[in-house]
Amino acid sequence: MLETLQTTIAQVIGSIAWGKWLSAGFLLVLGIVLATFVARSVGRLVETRTTRHHQVMIRRVFFYLVFLLFAIAALREAGFSLEVVLGAAGILTVAIGFASQTSASNIISGLFLVMEKPFEIGDTIEVDATIGEVVAIDLLSVKLRTADNLYVRIPNETLIKTRVINRSRFPIRRIDLVLGIAYAEDVEKVQDLLLELAQQNTVCLEEPKPFVLVTGFGASSVDLQFSFWVPREEFLDGRGSMMIVVKKALDEHGIEIPFPHTSVYAGSHSEPFRVQLMAPEQQKDKDSPDVDRND
Amino acid sequence: MTVYPEGQRDGVWAHPYQLASGQTQQHRLGHTHLWVTLLDQEWQVRFVVQQPEDSADPLTWFETIGHSLPSSEIPVQRFVRSGDNGEVCFIPAMASLPTVIRPSQPLTVPAGGRCVLYVGTNLWMKVCVGEGRSELTEVPLAVPSRTWLGRNSMEGEICYASSTYGRLALEAVPKRPWRAVTPVTIINRRERPLLLERFSLPTPLLSVYRNGQGLLWTPGITVECETDMNSASLRIDQSAPQAAGECELLAPAREKLAKGRRLVRAFDHIFG
Repeated sequence: MLETLQTTIAQVIGSIAWGKWLSAGFLLVLGIVLATFVARSVGRLVETRTTRHHQVMIRRVFFYLVFLLFAIAALREAGFSLEVVLGAAGILTVAIGFASQTSASNIISGLFLVMEKPFEIGDTIEVDATIGEVVAIDLLSVKLRTADNLYVRIPNETLIKTRVINRSRFPIRRIDLVLGIAYAEDVEKVQDLLLELAQQNTVCLEEPKPFVLVTGFGASSVDLQFSFWVPREEFLDGRGSMMIVVKKALDEHGIEIPFPHTSVYAGSHSEPFRVQLMAPEQQKDKDSPDVDRND
Repeated sequence: MTVYPEGQRDGVWAHPYQLASGQTQQHRLGHTHLWVTLLDQEWQVRFVVQQPEDSADPLTWFETIGHSLPSSEIPVQRFVRSGDNGEVCFIPAMASLPTVIRPSQPLTVPAGGRCVLYVGTNLWMKVCVGEGRSELTEVPLAVPSRTWLGRNSMEGEICYASSTYGRLALEAVPKRPWRAVTPVTIINRRERPLLLERFSLPTPLLSVYRNGQGLLWTPGITVECETDMNSASLRIDQSAPQAAGECELLAPAREKLAKGRRLVRAFDHIFG
């Protein structure tokens, strides 16, 4: 019994064409090495002429092309006929399609992403409350690096389905600062003051022109929108520095930024309601006409 | 003749100044205050760029050598010395981005007409040391202001902004050592008048010359608006303009344009 088994194993091992398989394996390894080399060389060649995004794409295309050629050669070497392999691949694709719908969907979404090109490597994008710089666009997912240095992987399918905001597409961006001023203040004076600040701030672009809009009469303040344009790389700096100078300038000119407050009326302007102070020595006299003192 | 406090004199472009270790050279030029200090092992450069409170532009360049340093609040840049002889010189440079010129009052060039505008643009100052004039740093001589030039907020480019009087007479151009004058010839070949509200000057392509009076000039520029095209061709002269008199080249252009090539640009990119 044991002898029969040994003979069978020896026969099976003996019947395998080791030489063919070895050369096929060698071809595959050579393919990987050569493809990497070709991809790197081409990448270096186009480095200065294209963006980083295109460089990565070109490298990848060359890698897969060279690798595919060697893989086909390896299969032939191992004794597979290409027709049979392709036929098997067809059946395999259906099987894989059913078995791994998510991966297939991601791969197809990835192809659409590459064709549509809503963003490139190096762009800053916003997907579902995640903001980060695109570090890689791969077959299944896109990798982001957030501002606090986290590595975020987003499946390609998600990117196709959800809203993606590309913050780096256009060279300039508008900053809208919302601020409220007290009802007693002169809105036109504040408007002039803000526009002068925009003119003095070197981050602000002269054109498109900055502007100030009155957006509404709020519960405690007149609401203003102060909009100005900055180069996209200086967005944060522009926003921060402008908020500081706005606060300083409003303080200097005695313009009040009110906090929410409520005025209470007794129902009529002509009949002020009486307020009785129980401990008058602890109160400060503020010359308020609505307060009666019971001394 | 201007009388300066002791030790002060007029600064000169591309002139080698000799400093001894421990000495600080101080400059007041344009809107910039600059201090260059030589130590045994290093160079130190400090500068402040500040818009003057009165609108009058300074017309002179004060230079003095002493031992006093400015307040420690001013940021310092340090450079390791590499076998230089303590010589420092200052080379002018045009802006690294195109400059949008906006005449303070718009000017109209009638159909078939031409005009020559003299425009002044702000310079940058390169601090160079040693006989090989190796560059340490670059200092703007006025607070640089930027703008966007393009058809919309998607297509266009960021440029420096400069407002000018758009002087048509050479005599009226103020003589400021921190600005270079460019004669711009505008030829309107179109059938309708050209309203000149703003136009883009390709400053990175301009070299800087100095004439006999010590004023800085750039080669002249000719902008020709074609008849039926939505583009304008721009030609940069190869040498200093005749109006400047005899000139010497102080600094080559930052970027080179192939010889004899005409720069044809979309109308929006020249006239906004």
